[in-house]
Amino acid sequence: MNDILRIGKYTNNYMKLKWSNYELAKSFDEYINSDNKVRGHIRKIGNFFESLSLTELQELNSSTESAIKSLGINFRVYSDTGSEERSWPLDFIPRLIKKKEWDQVSKGLIQRTKALNLFIEDCYNEQKFLKQSSMNEDLILKSKAYFSFCKNVKLPNSAWSHICGSDLIKDIKGDFYVLEDNLRIPSGVSYMLENRYVMKRVFPDLFSHYGVSRIDEYPLRLYETLVDSSFRNTKSPEIVLLTPGIYNSAYYEHSYLAQQMGIDLVEGRDLVVKNGYVYKKTIEGLSKVDVIYRRVDDAFLDPEVGDPKSVLGVKGLIKCWKNKTVSIVNAPGCGIADDKAVYRYVPDMIKFYLDEECILPNIKTYLMSKKKHRNYVFQNIRKMVIKPVAEAGGYGIVIGKTLNNETEEEIKRKVLGNTKNYVAQPLIDLSTTPTFSRNEISPRHLDLRPFILSGKKTYVTVGGLTRVALKKGSTVVNSSQGGGSKDTWIVEA
Amino acid sequence: MLSRSAKHLYWLARYIERTENISRMIDVNLELILDYPVDHSLNWKPLIDTLDANQYYEKKYKKYNEDNVLSFLFEGTNNSSSIKNCLDMAKYNIETVRDDLPKSASISLNHLHDHIFNLSFLKIHKRKRLPYITNIVDLTQEFFSSINDNLSRGYEFEFIRLGRFLERIDMISRIIDCLCITKSDKKTYDFSTMEWISLLSILSAQDAFRKVSKGEVDREEVINFLLQDDSFPRSITRCLSVLRLCLDSLPKNEKIILKIRTLRLRFDTASFENFDDNKLHIFLDKCQKDLIAIDKLVEKTYF
Repeated sequence: MNDILRIGKYTNNYMKLKWSNYELAKSFDEYINSDNKVRGHIRKIGNFFESLSLTELQELNSSTESAIKSLGINFRVYSDTGSEERSWPLDFIPRLIKKKEWDQVSKGLIQRTKALNLFIEDCYNEQKFLKQSSMNEDLILKSKAYFSFCKNVKLPNSAWSHICGSDLIKDIKGDFYVLEDNLRIPSGVSYMLENRYVMKRVFPDLFSHYGVSRIDEYPLRLYETLVDSSFRNTKSPEIVLLTPGIYNSAYYEHSYLAQQMGIDLVEGRDLVVKNGYVYKKTIEGLSKVDVIYRRVDDAFLDPEVGDPKSVLGVKGLIKCWKNKTVSIVNAPGCGIADDKAVYRYVPDMIKFYLDEECILPNIKTYLMSKKKHRNYVFQNIRKMVIKPVAEAGGYGIVIGKTLNNETEEEIKRKVLGNTKNYVAQPLIDLSTTPTFSRNEISPRHLDLRPFILSGKKTYVTVGGLTRVALKKGSTVVNSSQGGGSKDTWIVEA
Repeated sequence: MLSRSAKHLYWLARYIERTENISRMIDVNLELILDYPVDHSLNWKPLIDTLDANQYYEKKYKKYNEDNVLSFLFEGTNNSSSIKNCLDMAKYNIETVRDDLPKSASISLNHLHDHIFNLSFLKIHKRKRLPYITNIVDLTQEFFSSINDNLSRGYEFEFIRLGRFLERIDMISRIIDCLCITKSDKKTYDFSTMEWISLLSILSAQDAFRKVSKGEVDREEVINFLLQDDSFPRSITRCLSVLRLCLDSLPKNEKIILKIRTLRLRFDTASFENFDDNKLHIFLDKCQKDLIAIDKLVEKTYF
């Protein structure tokens, strides 16, 4: 008997879940408080899940999976042996956030993105912040992401990172923190939209009772942002989405967004520069392009300035951008602010450019290039997370508590070999949410990636893409490394 | 519409149509063997002639026997017109235009691809080869009917149609030329009714033909039907009419229309009853050259 009640594990198919038996992890759980009671805004859906038997949960799980399969929602994973297409992993238990809480987060994100965009433009122009703050200017001026061709460029609405995806986490108290800002070409928004589409089909009854805020405005707002970025003053500029092609891991998203906005999905070979303008090759001949929503990395955009062997880009594109005959979204060079060492200064930027206090807090970040910081980190290394500054996708991250004496020495040596390349942060206990896995419901860690659009107006997605680590105890949420996802509901409490 | 998308759609249709026609040829030849089991004059070589692939074939095989020819037509990796290669190319071409097409079309191409790639043809029991081939033809037809029923009329549709019908004329003219006229030393004047019927059946034309001509079949009637009939979907004249319709909906069409009109005029004014086998062969050969020129012009104009 005791065995059955211990955790949310089912021992027979007719058994129902009791939240009082749910085995909390040591983190903040977004459904269940420390007294094993369902939190206020969760009550309705919490009761709903308690009313289901294991058989019913299995049915929900398989109808979610088959909906994803038949819609063809997938992504591509690369390994040493090649690449394969996988079905998108969605856990059917949604994550809920109170609207009031979200409104505040939303404000914080807008504030942050504004400051970051002003910072980028400043770095390429007057460099006021670099001159006046304590930031080492080499962090920017010697960054790989810094391009001298961006110097003296000013963009409409000072928008450089028109589409920003910031990663948020909740700590042990349940407060949101920003983990990092992805300013280059953040992806995932199509999965946020598709998750909702699938969930509506799996839980039509829940949506009609719950008053979940809609999220499907995004493609429209993205389109407006692209229109706003145009140098040509027109209501309907010619916009294309530039993809590296079908083998890119985010190709699904590229084709989804292009289709939603009704714009052409092009590859580098479909575009050509002629007499200072960018054209796409159509069956009617060349047709001028005003805005390129590019999902190709800076280095491959134009073989004239980046990788000379690149076939993904367009020769002469950067010159056109500099002459303002075409706009590139996100703008080249905006990666300078997408760096885990620069991240540390975002609260200062907010104060400097906007004269406001930072609404959404940062996680304390130690620069390994500073001796004081480094000494502190080395003394407390088992409580820290060490991160390379310019890696994405969760690669290269070292979690202190997993170290032994030998690996500890190894990472210290690595850091000392190139101190500028590393930062450290205290290990945050990511919050958890109940997740269905192997016939039980148990807590899994998660984060949240909202998307922020900067044009004439600023727009934040309603919620965002919730990513969840499917392995028990794991905090790696990246889909390329076995992470899953959840639909995110913003609800009136 | 992007040039690249147009090009992919055009070639997608060409490769699927080619798959269908190769399968039809194999189908009929297999069936003939059942009718004439001891007739050694029944030859597999004309199938390779039709695809103009003898050079590649002879690199690998000495004899033109059933097993060799069939495995070449199915799996031949050095044969750009093998069924497997056609379907690989079709799959490649559909990748970036998948979203422009009805989902059911892309699903039937997947079925087709799985159908072929899951096994090696020679391992199929002889008894099952015929239904296997018929199934390929059914699946290609399923693909095109999904396009016809679900795709809005517009540039996408027209480029698919353009590719499909150019390929069809190309294949019909090759089939008549190689599987009939130059098939053996025998003059077509001496063909039996059954021989004419098998030619017609490659093009699924026997039923339609029977509606206009009953009893013993003569050469002139068949030739006129396959080349000049304006209502049967697999007659060359009819295919040329469809091409004309396609081009009317496309921009920058003047030069291509002119070429098609000239070709059509040659078919309309030719009096095939006066053509002996050699003259017919030369006529069809010229037609193929014109098709190549049209294909080049399409490429130059749109892609």
